[in-house]
Amino acid sequence: MPDKPSDLVQGTLDMLILKTLALEPMHGYGISVRIEQMSKGVFRLNAGSLFLAIQRLERDGLIDGEWKPTENNRRARYYTLTAKGRKRLNNETREWGRQVTAIARILEAS
Amino acid sequence: MSLLRNITSGFRSLFRSEQVDRELDEELGAYLEMAAAEKMKQGMSRMEALRSVRLERGSVEVSKEVVRSGGWETLVETCWRDLCFAVRMLRKSPGFTAVAVLTLGLGIGSNTAIFSLINAVMLRVLPVYEPEALLQLNIENPRRPGAPSIGFTNPLWEQIRDRQNVFSDVFSWSEDRFDLAQGGAVQLVHSMWISGNFFSALRIRPAAGRLIAGADDYRGCPAETVLSYGFWQDHYGGTSSAIGSTLSLNRQPFQVIGVAAPGFYGMEKGEKFDVAVPICAAAIFDGQESRLDRRSHWWLQVAGRVRPGIRQAQVVARLKALSPAVFMAALPHEWSPDGQRDFLKRTLTAVPIATGSSRFGLLHRFERPLEVLMAVVGLVMLIGCANLASLMLARAAGRYKEIAVRRALGASRARLVGQLLTESIVLSSAGALLGLLFARWGAALLVRYISTSSDAFFLDLSLDGRVLGFTGTVAMLTAILFGLLPALQSTRVSLTSAMKGSQSIEIDRPLRFQTRKWIVASQVALSLVLVVAAGLLLRSFAKLARLDLGFDRNSVLLLGTNLKAAKVPADSQIATYEAIETRLRALPGIVSVGRSMITPLEGGAWNQIVKTDWSNALTDDEALTWLNSVSPGYFETLHAPLLEGRDFTSTDSKTSRKVAIINQTLGRRFFPGLNPIGRTFQLKGVSGQFGPPIEVVGVVKDAKYQSIREDIHPTAFFPDVQLSPEFAEAENFELRTAVRPSALVSSIQAAVASVNKEIALEFDTLTDQVNHSMIRERLLAMLSSFFGALALLLAMIGLYGTLSYLVSQRQAEFGIRAALGAPPGSILLLVIRDVLAVLCGGMAAGVVISLATVRVLHDLLFGLPPRDAITLAAAASILSIVAFVAGYLPARRAMRVDPMVALRYE
Repeated sequence: MPDKPSDLVQGTLDMLILKTLALEPMHGYGISVRIEQMSKGVFRLNAGSLFLAIQRLERDGLIDGEWKPTENNRRARYYTLTAKGRKRLNNETREWGRQVTAIARILEAS
Repeated sequence: MSLLRNITSGFRSLFRSEQVDRELDEELGAYLEMAAAEKMKQGMSRMEALRSVRLERGSVEVSKEVVRSGGWETLVETCWRDLCFAVRMLRKSPGFTAVAVLTLGLGIGSNTAIFSLINAVMLRVLPVYEPEALLQLNIENPRRPGAPSIGFTNPLWEQIRDRQNVFSDVFSWSEDRFDLAQGGAVQLVHSMWISGNFFSALRIRPAAGRLIAGADDYRGCPAETVLSYGFWQDHYGGTSSAIGSTLSLNRQPFQVIGVAAPGFYGMEKGEKFDVAVPICAAAIFDGQESRLDRRSHWWLQVAGRVRPGIRQAQVVARLKALSPAVFMAALPHEWSPDGQRDFLKRTLTAVPIATGSSRFGLLHRFERPLEVLMAVVGLVMLIGCANLASLMLARAAGRYKEIAVRRALGASRARLVGQLLTESIVLSSAGALLGLLFARWGAALLVRYISTSSDAFFLDLSLDGRVLGFTGTVAMLTAILFGLLPALQSTRVSLTSAMKGSQSIEIDRPLRFQTRKWIVASQVALSLVLVVAAGLLLRSFAKLARLDLGFDRNSVLLLGTNLKAAKVPADSQIATYEAIETRLRALPGIVSVGRSMITPLEGGAWNQIVKTDWSNALTDDEALTWLNSVSPGYFETLHAPLLEGRDFTSTDSKTSRKVAIINQTLGRRFFPGLNPIGRTFQLKGVSGQFGPPIEVVGVVKDAKYQSIREDIHPTAFFPDVQLSPEFAEAENFELRTAVRPSALVSSIQAAVASVNKEIALEFDTLTDQVNHSMIRERLLAMLSSFFGALALLLAMIGLYGTLSYLVSQRQAEFGIRAALGAPPGSILLLVIRDVLAVLCGGMAAGVVISLATVRVLHDLLFGLPPRDAITLAAAASILSIVAFVAGYLPARRAMRVDPMVALRYE
């Protein structure tokens, strides 16, 4: 068994969800699978925090939800990134990059 | 945009919660299904897969709870659920709820009632356009700095109007009473003399017809009047035919030209005008020597609307600069040179009157009492809150297990405190609603109480934002006050001990009992403060009521007349009075009849400086003597004993030697150690000249003149026939009656009408007049005693409850002690020790607080100092007795504990 899944840095889950949806509309399970795959299993989301984040993003108008049938004939809510969400993602990505570089610089200095 | 979305989405889940729930269920279900399907592909059975997914990702229910808690609507939902729960819990114990709501209702109601009076009297602004920009003018007299000025003469007002440059509008008014009747009983209405621009300066619109305008105010103006909206409704039924009709005011026909808009009651709080007439109309009543030209008739008030951009300090400075010219132009030439010089030193100043002009207002006297009463009802509220806190603690003790179970199931302490506080808030909100009803009734009752039949106070007591805000704040504060401590205490539970059994309550007992002891001790302290205040006010009222006034106030009917208004010529006025007196004396039921210009304690006064034939150096203030004009029967009718010399007789006539009767104080001050009979004195006139010598023929016992609280003034009485005719224009008859005064009214009216039908009569009794002069003291004594008694009762209930609780908690202990042979006395001692501890602690704190705060009562007391030792001792004894009465029953129960019963209970 690999290392225990890590907790996400506060506030980064929103950014990851937005990033995931930037490629294509997706349902909740799709999002969590994608995040797990891309992080190579470092991040594992439980349903509660995932849907809490989705509810928050939807209320903020960053994503839109829509009921659609899935591949295996169930109904699921598919989420799409809105224009506002795309802008937010770009901002946050840039900000995140700046912070990571800065933190790395500090850590290397010692 | 996103805020809107947030709110709509929140409302969606609030009001269509079922659908939202279903959708969330479906979405989460799909999510877990998909996760499980993934696992099943790897070879797990469906059951295994679902279990593993639940472990990894969380169950549907837990996830739903997490998602739901994210939105703001959850908070609303929680509050709503707490509210429902609180109401359900309170409905389960209707007795407790009723007691709590009633206590809170009365408490919040008393506070709201007093506050709504304070609001109406002191805080509410006048219902006119931009009242904040209005300043009232005052005259500053350097000889009496800080003393309130009494008003303006018409010449002064005209000078100010024509010379000022700081106000966009400057206007004048004067409150008065007019008689509508043509004869018989007077029918007084509140009237207002106004300058022409009065209504336009205040931006009052007409409700009908037109209002008095600037052009209507000129010398020789016609008799025209404007009605108030209320008067128009009451007297004319609001019909338009009122406009143009004629109204008799003090026997002069006035034409009604319009009605002022509803809501405007005048410039003074407590007053309500019925009719307004222009100042220039004074000439119609006065004839030759009109008030309009008299330079020492101070009857007008002046105020102005400040020009935009000018500050109050600038207004005051410019008015001061303007003063010399204004006072010079309105100089009273008949004054003595000294008086004129002083007059020219006076200056104009200005103060805000946004909340109404109240310098002469009778309501002004009630401002301090209202503040005191506000403090009193606030304290009573605190004491009541303490009882409720005790009750809540006891209630919480009964719910100990319930609370422990909730904690064990994962409810956070904050959540439980919130829920318990919700209960307090529900109680206090219900109390506040009840209190608002109670306050409306109570405040109106108080206004009626301080009003007399002839002088009804008018106050706008309608609810406004300030009163509602006050009530809401009080309700919230009380909820926190009586709810927070019990909520905090009762949620501090030890889970393990709670689960073990009922003894667990014992573990917290000392702590909880300690809290209740503190609560009761503070109740004792606050009650002592209230009882001391009530005692002081009650004793000073009793001193006033028992005061020897110098005359007998009982069974005297007062009859006010105005012969000038009845158009009786000046030279036949005395003869008319005498004719009426003869008829009155013949009426059955009347013992004796007297007359005077001023009746005792009516509030009016006439005083002048006196010089005697016996030289003793007195300052002007010391030589100022109060005067009255009376008839021969006056002293006999009032039962005012003549100590030396003789009463006036019919031989004291216009042509005979001028005589006077003096009181003891005048005799002592002006003729120390001498026999005053046969001595003479002179009166100093306005011009500074002394009048003819007047001989003292009698000495009468000292009596109160203007107000019941005054020190006795040196007083001299003259026969009315020997004074100049204008003193006889309006005299009062005093009638000592052998029957109930009201039974005589119609026969008196007939007797007066048989002499002259035009004479209007104003009835009052001397008892009422005396009582009215003590109304402030009576009100304070009555209310503070009531609230003091209430405080005692509340403290007694609090002490009783706490001690009963203590005894029931220690029943087992007492039983064991009794079984081991402790005499009942020693068990009694245990309880008494607790009573004493609470009582002594509370009393000591109460004495300290009392001594520190009673000084605020200083100017409301009569004849005793605020730190009166007797009152303090009496209050402490009363409180001790109450405490022991409250402790008696629980102590007896403790003494009679049957060891067998107590131990079996264990």
